[in-house]
Amino acid sequence: MQRIGKTVWKRLKANRQTLLWIVISFATLLIAWQVASMLSQGRVQIPAPLEVFEAFFRSMTVPIGKNTILEHAGISLWRVLLGFVVASVIGMAIGILMGVSPKAHAVINPLFEFVRPIPPIAWIPLSILWFGLGSSNKIFIIFLASFTYVTINSYEGARNVDPKLIGAARMLGASRRRVFTHVIFPSSVPYIFAGLQIALSVSWAAEVAAEIIYSQNGVGWIITMGMNNGNITQIMVGMIAIGVIGYLLSTLMRVVEGRLCRWNRQET
Amino acid sequence: MEPAGNIILRCEHLSRSFTTPSGTDYRVLGDVSFDVRENEFLVLFGPGQCGKTTLLNLLAGLDQPTGGFVEMQGEPVHAPSPSRGVVYQTTSLFPWLTVMGNVEFGPASRGIPKAERRKQAQYFIDLVGLKGFEKSYPNQLSGGMQQRAGIARAYCSDPSVLLMDEPFGHLDAQTRYMMEQELERIWRAEKRTVLFVTNNIEEALYLADRIILLTNCPSVICKEYMVNLPRPRNYVDPAFLQLRKEITREMDPTQ
Repeated sequence: MQRIGKTVWKRLKANRQTLLWIVISFATLLIAWQVASMLSQGRVQIPAPLEVFEAFFRSMTVPIGKNTILEHAGISLWRVLLGFVVASVIGMAIGILMGVSPKAHAVINPLFEFVRPIPPIAWIPLSILWFGLGSSNKIFIIFLASFTYVTINSYEGARNVDPKLIGAARMLGASRRRVFTHVIFPSSVPYIFAGLQIALSVSWAAEVAAEIIYSQNGVGWIITMGMNNGNITQIMVGMIAIGVIGYLLSTLMRVVEGRLCRWNRQET
Repeated sequence: MEPAGNIILRCEHLSRSFTTPSGTDYRVLGDVSFDVRENEFLVLFGPGQCGKTTLLNLLAGLDQPTGGFVEMQGEPVHAPSPSRGVVYQTTSLFPWLTVMGNVEFGPASRGIPKAERRKQAQYFIDLVGLKGFEKSYPNQLSGGMQQRAGIARAYCSDPSVLLMDEPFGHLDAQTRYMMEQELERIWRAEKRTVLFVTNNIEEALYLADRIILLTNCPSVICKEYMVNLPRPRNYVDPAFLQLRKEITREMDPTQ
């Protein structure tokens, strides 16, 4: 973590110009927001930025419903993690299988193409009827949301392995199994990672949607409750939490990818 | 004059055709027979696109001939084997492995314990002049250094024959001269049987004990030369230039 912090800091220092633009960009947003909130008095309700941020930080210690906002975030993240991990493991296995075996591809792909156009949130009603109102139905939705992206990208990765590298490995005495684990798999990793990245952000969106439709906790629930109680500040607090977590998740994935795919970077 | 040494690799009446998209047969390699002797540096020399890579893939066992056969130490060749190492035209290093990881890939595939294969790999990394670059990834190396790593990797799986498919074809002229000298130095330090494919006559004459001339598609052997010049050779030595002239005229009688 410390090293990551250091590199981020180094980059910021090197790009003072960029930093300046980021500050300007956020300042503009906040000013526009403040002006809108002042102009909206008496018509639609737009709470002032300061009020929302205050409520946001207050909710870290004072619960909304039964839980603080951190607990709500934790509950949502836990569901995403479960669904995402299971989907990733199964997706990679099926995707790579499709990539190396044209027969497997011929059988699985049509099903895939059939199911894929159905957006994950369209499954929510079925999922609730099948898995009940608790966490399981949301985990199922997250699984569906991540699964397609991981599978397709793993397939692309396994299919695009340079045949010369497979030839080279076989000439060096690698068994079929070793070719699989030491050539096809590592060579697919950049593709798989691209899939995991999209899958994670789509999962997060699907989780929030599922919570908005029916839930008893989680960050999506905060928004729905805010709507039901006419509490606009609470809605905005929930939205900020969703945005921040989404941003942190994609940053985390980028850092992990940078570590694992160091070899794939273009060096000059 | 007959080349000395035991026959290690033999191909008899080897041919290879490919079916074109329109359905006709396209013959790339037509009836090629020759022997490779132990520890010789044999160069297959021919014009570009003449089926040299096709021939090399057959010898490697990565492809099957349409006619004829390949025999290695009396055994028929059907599949790739670590007894024949390949150095490719462009780098075929595993980009996700470091130089060390690449060079020790062969011994690791044969289940040699880590400490031992590290030692072997280090020896060949030092031999090809990559000491200090063990932890570099291929994309951090120059073209010449990548080919050095490729040579070390091929050597490290302890092959009886090294097959080299225009390994310096993509390098700039300066690096190419240097790599030719380096390869000769490496080969003299660690004698192996080498089958080297090139379309560069100077490279052929600088490296070869024996040169086999291939014609254009379908390629067949048109002539064989023994190169008995002392090593290391000099590109402007009169005998070198004489032989160069002779071979060039053989390939293109109008010159």
